[in-house]
Amino acid sequence: MSNPAIIEIEHLTKTFRNAEEPAVNGISFSINRNEIFGLLGPNGAGKTTTISILCGLFPPTSGKVLIDGKDIHTELDSIKNILGIVPQDIALYPTLTARENLAFYGSMYGLYGKSLKDKIEVWLQKLGLKDAANRKVSTYSGGMKRRVNLIAGILHSPKILFLDEPTVGVDVHSRNVIIQHLKEVNASGTTIIYTSHHMEEAEHFCTRVSIIDRGKILTEGTPAELISRNAGSTNLENVFLNLTNRKLRD
Amino acid sequence: MLHKLLATVKKEILLLLRDRVGLAVLFVMPVALILVMTLIQDSAFKSINEKGIPVVFVNNDHDSLGNIIEDGLRRNELVYVSDSIDGKPATAESATKAVSEGKFLLGIVIPKGATAAIRKNVAVLVNETMNGADTTNKQQDSVEVSIIVDPVAKKSFLTTITSNLREFISEVKTKIMFETFSEQIAEVIPDKQNAPKNSYQKSQIIHYKEIYASTATDKIVPNAVQHNVPAWAIFAMFFIAIPLSNSILKEKSEGSVFRLHTMPTPFLLLVNGKVIVYVFVCLIQFALMLCVGKFLLPQLGLPALVLGNSMMGILLLTLATAFAATGFGVTVGTLATTDHQAAIMGSLSILLLSALGGIWVPSYVMPEVMRNISAWSPLNWSLEGFYKLFLRGGNVSDILMESFKLVLFFLGTMAISYIYNLKKRRV
Repeated sequence: MSNPAIIEIEHLTKTFRNAEEPAVNGISFSINRNEIFGLLGPNGAGKTTTISILCGLFPPTSGKVLIDGKDIHTELDSIKNILGIVPQDIALYPTLTARENLAFYGSMYGLYGKSLKDKIEVWLQKLGLKDAANRKVSTYSGGMKRRVNLIAGILHSPKILFLDEPTVGVDVHSRNVIIQHLKEVNASGTTIIYTSHHMEEAEHFCTRVSIIDRGKILTEGTPAELISRNAGSTNLENVFLNLTNRKLRD
Repeated sequence: MLHKLLATVKKEILLLLRDRVGLAVLFVMPVALILVMTLIQDSAFKSINEKGIPVVFVNNDHDSLGNIIEDGLRRNELVYVSDSIDGKPATAESATKAVSEGKFLLGIVIPKGATAAIRKNVAVLVNETMNGADTTNKQQDSVEVSIIVDPVAKKSFLTTITSNLREFISEVKTKIMFETFSEQIAEVIPDKQNAPKNSYQKSQIIHYKEIYASTATDKIVPNAVQHNVPAWAIFAMFFIAIPLSNSILKEKSEGSVFRLHTMPTPFLLLVNGKVIVYVFVCLIQFALMLCVGKFLLPQLGLPALVLGNSMMGILLLTLATAFAATGFGVTVGTLATTDHQAAIMGSLSILLLSALGGIWVPSYVMPEVMRNISAWSPLNWSLEGFYKLFLRGGNVSDILMESFKLVLFFLGTMAISYIYNLKKRRV
């Protein structure tokens, strides 16, 4: 039987140059195949640093990371082929159309020709962007940009999809469409690693969550387990606030 | 990999075509620069040639020296000679006042009896020479020609005029000496029919002929067009650093670079897509500049650009310059962290490199220290190469060293960008 964990992290530490304290401090956890794993935490908790290491943006200071059985230190190029990233900031070229943006990003993941064109058309149709596909992205609403941003990350059907606040700043309709399609993506076999400040969304969307603060994992489990484990908490937001001390974070 | 490279090239072309201001900077600015700089320089030369620099001439001598200098100056295209000020005959005092007020750039005063003094000196010299006396230690009456100079006059111009004056004075002296010798000889030669009278004009046996050291089959005459078109075309090609670095910084600020770094695509492939497109833009830019020099400038009354003997040489050097300029742009875009920083860093460094490279002022007029520094500017390598092709009629083998240095510069800038990027990601 194959390893159920698609991501295995052991004693991961990242201390940035000139920083006094590590941004990620010896964390260990694993993410199973086909999970929707929520990495939740206040600002500066270490979740973006963790995801950036997993995406190969910069190397860890120490620790071991295996993605789909491959070591991130030695097989990063091969690992990148199975990753999809939907960053919080819209990472698109504003002067290109949605179709041109998707064609470019799809090509960077190795797609080309009819296969690329077909995938673009399918996703534009699914996310309601077909009619606006030849307009420059700069003319789009916030919700439309988010949807194109999402397609750019899932066009190549990645094994692992990192979502950083995928629904921030969008209206309810766009949010529903995005969440619904992300569930479809997950159902087709993609493992999702999701970060958000939107606790209600995380509670309903994630199959398992981990709450992280000051570079350390505070708790881990299904949303229902976390709520039941924390006396007096009726939802994930209560759990989060109790664990992270309710103090304002910069 | 080829699909990825083609996709990157296509994306860069689309981004460039959608950036109209950037396109204007790339194509309109260099054309305007060549037109303005060439017309200014050409008209500056023409204004000097057609009207000349104003010189007030006070001829108190009214004899050979004064007349020859006046004639010589009037024939000189560099100056416009006037012997009156505000309708009144010029005097030494009024000339000094007029020059100090900026009405004339120079004043020349020939003292009264100057020719007579020269004649007297020459006669003494000739007599003593004919009689075999030693004249080396004898004090002679000197003739003092005054030159009143406006402090704004350039040293080079002053040098030209004084050298002309020396020539005229020397001519007068020689003429008088010749005539005096002729008279002396005539007295001792019995047959006066054979005396060498009035044969001074025949004695002008040395003439000047300007020959340009060029092997070009077309006749190449150094002029503002031959100098300015390659110089400003190189400047414009290096100015590509600004839109190119902006394109790199936009990717950083718009977040695309974040996504690109997480993709299974090497950094060099992404950069190479940019390099290919911008090198191509440089080639179009240069072709446009050559067309301006060849076809548009003649319509404006300027000489047409002569391309020399070697189209292959032009292509090779242009390509090498385009790579050097693009590599420079990539480095500026990599090192800068904001658009503002890139614009300042890019434009100032290009201005500096072009000044050092001899685009603004030819490097041969620079002091030795600056000439040595100039030899390190890639713009200088390119300019020297184009001078070899456009002015000296050189071919591919003549510009191989310049092309090699430019390609080496490109590789160096790309290595710097790659290492810097690598280091920056090892936070």
